[in-house]
Amino acid sequence: MLVLTALVSAALVGSAAFGIGRMTAPENSRPGTTSAEAGFARDMQIHHDQGVQLANIVRDLTADAPVRLLALDIAAVQGQQSGQLYGFLTEWGLPQAAREPSMTWMSRAGRTADGHEHAAAHIAGEPMPGLATPGQIAELAAASGVDAERIFLTLMIAHHQGAVEMADAALDRASNASVLAFSASVKRSQAAEIDLMTGMLSERMP
Amino acid sequence: MGLCNERDFLNFRQYAGPNGRKPSSERPIVPNSPQPGASVGNDNLTVKQKRTAQRAAKLEEYRRQEARRLRNRKLGLIGGITAAVAVVALVVTVVVTTPQPAPSAQYAGGGTGVVVEGTQTFDNRARHVETPVTYAETPPTGGDHASAWLNCGVYTQPVPSENAVHALEHGAIWVTHSPSMTEEDRLALRAFLPSTHVIMSPFEGLPSPIVLSGWNVQLQLDTVTDERIPAFFEANWKSNSVPEPGALCTSGVTAPGLV
Repeated sequence: MLVLTALVSAALVGSAAFGIGRMTAPENSRPGTTSAEAGFARDMQIHHDQGVQLANIVRDLTADAPVRLLALDIAAVQGQQSGQLYGFLTEWGLPQAAREPSMTWMSRAGRTADGHEHAAAHIAGEPMPGLATPGQIAELAAASGVDAERIFLTLMIAHHQGAVEMADAALDRASNASVLAFSASVKRSQAAEIDLMTGMLSERMP
Repeated sequence: MGLCNERDFLNFRQYAGPNGRKPSSERPIVPNSPQPGASVGNDNLTVKQKRTAQRAAKLEEYRRQEARRLRNRKLGLIGGITAAVAVVALVVTVVVTTPQPAPSAQYAGGGTGVVVEGTQTFDNRARHVETPVTYAETPPTGGDHASAWLNCGVYTQPVPSENAVHALEHGAIWVTHSPSMTEEDRLALRAFLPSTHVIMSPFEGLPSPIVLSGWNVQLQLDTVTDERIPAFFEANWKSNSVPEPGALCTSGVTAPGLV
């Protein structure tokens, strides 16, 4: 009788411990290759890499110290963040290249996709929001001085707005803690930089 | 169950108790022992009465011993069960909360691990030179290269290998095709390519109509519909096994013919 009681109690406590352990175990699951996390990590690298490119271009086109400093700041931050996203994929054991078109992750519904326009998001394979076109990049590269500064600021404000949109989409779809923290940080810092650049642009208007 | 029954106990004067101890001397076996300075008057009891009293005292002592033995058994059992349960709970908790080992990763950040069928690998080193280089492979997959990397993109003319190799060092894939490839095939090939870290260009003297090259890896293909093209990109694009993964494929030099 006592032996039976012991076995039953052991089984009960064992399963309770299993349940508690399972529920409290850190839930930072490894995203799959078609997850929002992986899609965001791949596409945001490309987005950030263009941010680095635009910043590098304008630094060669103007002697204006505030714009050159801003460009240096943007190039360093976005290069570092692009590396973080690269590392996420490495850590998850996923390829940097996807089998599906870019931005497919944003074409899938988010948690709050109840008719909100911003959550309905994107068509797979279409250009990312805020990404400068090759024509716009050529226009910047051909300019100089305050013209280049104005083009740069205009392109970078749109670039940042697009990045905030993508970060919002990731916050609405991802569950991985690293991606959520990354997206929240991008959203905060780039929103602040949009304000800064809007002010700088108005100062440079003819 | 018990070590002895009531009769045995009563007949066994020197019974040592459950723990090998003699019955406690604090509790005298014989009741009515004279208290110092007290006159009890045992002298008045008959022998039979004395024996009866002794038996009663022994019986009471036995019951006390038995109760203690049962209590000890119960405590031992509860303790044992608690310990066993605690051990089980601990083991289960540890097992559950231990992070699962990552299933053997297919890709080391898009690099090593998967070798797409037909892929050749090489062992070139990286060094900056400002002179033309004769490369071991056609097209080159690595080796000495110019200090300026080639800006990525689709080119309609052959590009300088010395610059293209530097882009491979940064994780780009160089998609080379026969100069005689049809426009239709060229567009089909472009459709497979990521938007960055890719160079596409015609190349004279290819060993096959299409050759995909990354740093120290190469795959020769015959058709643009070969499904090893996306597989090769998955395995090698922006690979962790190139010397400088994540480095720029912009802000370098642009060759003529960039689309």
